[in-house]
Amino acid sequence: MMKYAFFPGCVLEGASQEAYTATTKVAQALGIELVEIPGWTCCGGSHLQDYDKTAALAVNARNIALAEKMGLPVLTVCNTCTLMLREAKHELDNGAKELVNPALQQAGLEYTGTSPVTHFLWMLIKDYGLDKLKKKVKRPLKGMKVAGYYGCHILRPPHIMGFEDHANPHSLEDLIRALGAEPVLFDARLKCCGFHSVFTSKEDTMKATGTINLSALEGGADCTVTPCPLCQMQLDMYQPEGKRAVNANDDIPALHLTQLIGLALGYTAEELGMKRHIVNTGILLAGR
Amino acid sequence: MRKITFKIQRFDGQESWIQEYTLDHQPGKTILWALIQIKETLDPSLNFTASCRHAICGACAVRVNGQATLACETPLDKMLKRWESDTLILEPLQNFKLIRDLVVDWEPKAERLAELKPWLMPKDEFNKESGCRQSPEDFKKINKNSDCILCGCCASECNKLSGNNSDFLEPFVFTKAQRFVADSRDKNPVERLSAAINHGAWKCQHCQECVTKCPKGLSPAEDISNLRQEAIAKGLVEHSGVRHAKAFLDDIQKTGRLNEGMMAVKTDGLVKSIGNIPFALRLMSKGKLNPAHMFPKPIKEVAEVRAIILAVKESEKARNIANAKRSEAHTNPDIQRPKEAAK
Amino acid sequence: MLKFDILVIGSGGSGMQAALVASSQQGLNVALMSKVFPTRSATCCAQGGTNAVLKNADPTDTIEKHTFDTVKGSDFLGDQDAIEFFCEHMPETIRELDYYGVPFSRLESGTIAQRPFGGQSAPRTCYSSDKVGSVILHTLYEQCLKNGVNVLVEWLLLDLVVENDRVTGVVAMDMKTGEIQPIMAKTVVLATGGAGRMYWLRTTNPFASTGDGMAAALRAGVALKDPEFVQFHPTGLAGTGILMSEACRGEGGYLLNNQGERFMKRYAPEKLELATRDLVSQAIEIEIKEGRGFGEGMQAYVQLDLRHLGREKILERLPQIRDLAITFEGIDPIDQPIPIRPSCHYSMGGIDVTDYRTCGTDLKGLYATGECACLSIHGANRLGGNSTADVVLFGKVAGKAAAEAAKTLDFGSEQKVNELVRQWENSFSSTVARTDGPSVASIRDRLSETMWYNVGVFRKESEMKKATQIIDELIAEYKKCVVGDPSKIYNTAFVQYTELGNLLLVAKAVVMGALNRKESRGSHKREDYMNRDDENFLKHTIISKQGSQYKLSYRPVVVTKYQPVERKY
Repeated sequence: MMKYAFFPGCVLEGASQEAYTATTKVAQALGIELVEIPGWTCCGGSHLQDYDKTAALAVNARNIALAEKMGLPVLTVCNTCTLMLREAKHELDNGAKELVNPALQQAGLEYTGTSPVTHFLWMLIKDYGLDKLKKKVKRPLKGMKVAGYYGCHILRPPHIMGFEDHANPHSLEDLIRALGAEPVLFDARLKCCGFHSVFTSKEDTMKATGTINLSALEGGADCTVTPCPLCQMQLDMYQPEGKRAVNANDDIPALHLTQLIGLALGYTAEELGMKRHIVNTGILLAGR
Repeated sequence: MRKITFKIQRFDGQESWIQEYTLDHQPGKTILWALIQIKETLDPSLNFTASCRHAICGACAVRVNGQATLACETPLDKMLKRWESDTLILEPLQNFKLIRDLVVDWEPKAERLAELKPWLMPKDEFNKESGCRQSPEDFKKINKNSDCILCGCCASECNKLSGNNSDFLEPFVFTKAQRFVADSRDKNPVERLSAAINHGAWKCQHCQECVTKCPKGLSPAEDISNLRQEAIAKGLVEHSGVRHAKAFLDDIQKTGRLNEGMMAVKTDGLVKSIGNIPFALRLMSKGKLNPAHMFPKPIKEVAEVRAIILAVKESEKARNIANAKRSEAHTNPDIQRPKEAAK
Repeated sequence: MLKFDILVIGSGGSGMQAALVASSQQGLNVALMSKVFPTRSATCCAQGGTNAVLKNADPTDTIEKHTFDTVKGSDFLGDQDAIEFFCEHMPETIRELDYYGVPFSRLESGTIAQRPFGGQSAPRTCYSSDKVGSVILHTLYEQCLKNGVNVLVEWLLLDLVVENDRVTGVVAMDMKTGEIQPIMAKTVVLATGGAGRMYWLRTTNPFASTGDGMAAALRAGVALKDPEFVQFHPTGLAGTGILMSEACRGEGGYLLNNQGERFMKRYAPEKLELATRDLVSQAIEIEIKEGRGFGEGMQAYVQLDLRHLGREKILERLPQIRDLAITFEGIDPIDQPIPIRPSCHYSMGGIDVTDYRTCGTDLKGLYATGECACLSIHGANRLGGNSTADVVLFGKVAGKAAAEAAKTLDFGSEQKVNELVRQWENSFSSTVARTDGPSVASIRDRLSETMWYNVGVFRKESEMKKATQIIDELIAEYKKCVVGDPSKIYNTAFVQYTELGNLLLVAKAVVMGALNRKESRGSHKREDYMNRDDENFLKHTIISKQGSQYKLSYRPVVVTKYQPVERKY
């Protein structure tokens, strides 16, 4: 049985609890064991390093060391958590280990580099296999047009992420196809949702968000799906502001990656927490 | 014969159109080769700029299928493979004023570059006649960012710049600024830092496009992050961006986890946050913002987390002091250096 | 009408230095004009370093040693008074660049690091990893921004205007609008770079190195000096001619033939790979000619082996070299030797500067500096590390002198410059209207083939006579050539047409000088006159143009301390 040290990230504990539920359910259905890392902390959310780079390195070294103690690879479900953890790992593997280990040892921990950091999407493709996933699909999402929205931090910077070509990725589309749905390639699929500048540059952020949703609609999509709960928050929670910023009229539901998979595996919308979305997902599910 | 089609965005000063050109495929060529072939064998009226042919002059940046790159060093075959297609779309850089076809205007960029005073302001101890001193370690801090060739790839794909360029500067401008802030010969980092903050250093969206596109392997986003840290260190803390970043550290040290519920209040202050009440109500109605969770319980290892952060910072500080001492010994001409004197 | 006290043309290291010095003087209106955005200039291609006797890496180094190395390197054709002046003023110039902010590599002492370079008796080449030209160029551009230097970006020089035996301005094309503009100037500094593009693909030079200033000077009646001396850099990439810095050999790289032999031991037993560029290039071509190279014909090459330097040293000292080899030859120097062959690198000759203290020419008000000029400090062969040195020092000299002179001069008449503008406007209209004739590229390709095969590393009379005839034919054909783009806005086809005209004019002078110099000296290697002939040719070639006729004369070399002796490395 596949087993991972699960790093849920703060958002899954708070605003995006539905993603936690969906992740757990999907893992269960696929027979993947997720053991939550005991005592994990916030990754710093791509902001901590601006205030204190060393603290960002320290907390993520600890997070990875905790997983190493469990003897398991780290599994994340958030692009930014993945980036922060992998960036720390990159630094640790290139000289920072000596700086950090004495501090970790005081807490009975050590970073040795044995636990890779992977994302749920990557895990499904590389470790689990889409063919195997296809066999588990109980309710193919036939006829559903899905705009796969990657978000930045699962692709960029490539020397840290490197799972697939940053300019022409296809992991999401492959997955969407495996679930029986039809992937929609839309203009803004690799653009930034603006989440990380929502406080400092709100207008631009809303324009970015609105542009992505509009582009997905113009591509003929029924919904967007994203492997990042922060992007999902942006596309869903700020959709009204986004629409205003780009003078758009129509709504488009934004799903977590694990929710889309969950639907195909036979869970109901309610079980996957879709009632918690700001934009109604009902239209999407009519007849399913 | 395998044919390669190039759809090139043309512009004559007024009108814009897409023109198709087809070349016989040749292995081992570059995008610049294709542009030159088109100009010399198919259409002399196609315009682009290029000069050194080896990624040091920065003249030939274009977009290939939406990705800014230096034409001279981009292998054609790699692009055909990447896009699994024998048709490529070539466009001028984005976020530049267009002159003609693939030629963009750099003059307005020079003005924006000057905003951050990207030139050395030498310390008073140095003079024109005897030059400066700098340790090899301090040289290393500026060596990498001196590689910027002003090609514009980072600016072309910058999400923030595309959104609004009036309160932000091109990523390369921040990289230049950071190169001087980090220069041990410079006496006035604060001037560049405050200019960087005033020109939007806290507005970067962290999209990492600049890091991804830089043909010289530089990291403008990291430079922006470093400018932010340096600005804080120099006391330039009156900014919502600072409060936002600080909130992460505070929360980690307090509970180990992020307190999303209080983030707006911590970042924008209570008064400004009140303006967001309709948004908050929207979230509450869906259970996304739970007032009961405003004050989460700390993880039980939070003391350990605090201790680790502190310990790593201490050992880093010790390392920096050791380095600084070495560096001082290197640059102070009064200190005898037996190793060199013996030479 | 645009009017400037001083107009500097060309925005490389020399042009920017000239503009900076001139504009630091009170009350003078200075402009820097360039056909490219300043940081695209050819100076950025310089990799290895800049020579100056700082004594940082070797306290026993002296100005005299630098002077002698340069004189010897020049195969005694350099003017020794100019070389002394050059070597003496380099240390202060480097320190000033340090003060401007050039990020030089450093020694433990905090002083500027210096590395060994070909043909030099001490490690005196100041460097910044392997990108000294780029960082000097960008630093000077930063200084231009700081000092608010007025830059005319993307303006193409068409002609110098001469009236009453002095220069009074230029005619130039504002490429962004296509307007042909008159510019009045009291003094003009030409800093337009070399003409290596006459060898098109077998050159390390950027596309912009088309001898625009040299050709304009010729047309204005100013002579070229020693144009036949063209430096072939030994280590251009085999496929593209792109430069692999001399630092590769400075750091200890080997040159190997197809027997795996370090063949330089047969040509320069002492200095081996660190002999001067002319000797190393000639050695490589002999190896190839005698069947000890790899590959055939134009594709032939020898190997530059860096593997023994080790991964760490390559990554630290030669990172760009490694990137270039990977990108353009698909070879990682850490694991494999790099295929290389000589590639046209530098014009030792150039606009005849008659006073090295001012960079002045025979034409009043006209100054020349950098690669387009010939002082002569490089003579028959330039030492590696002396070109960026030349540009940063003599740019200042020229800028200062041009500023001083401008204070005493008035503007010329507008009539002459306007007349020339009208001529160019007519020429533009009729040229771009032509639809039938040879293409610019076809003439250019024939020029470069002719130059590489007949006026290349090795030269002989019969081949050069053939070249003379072909170039005359090409000059005639050029008049009928088709540009193919009638529009005015940023017409690069017209720019390239103009550049080709310049290359042809300069190439004709190169061949004429080479044909008539019946000796071998430095980079000029004659198969029919294998030895140096000081009795007849210890003198500078001077070529001027009157109408379509070229006139040849000679001028003695200035010898101060060092009598010519045979060169051995």
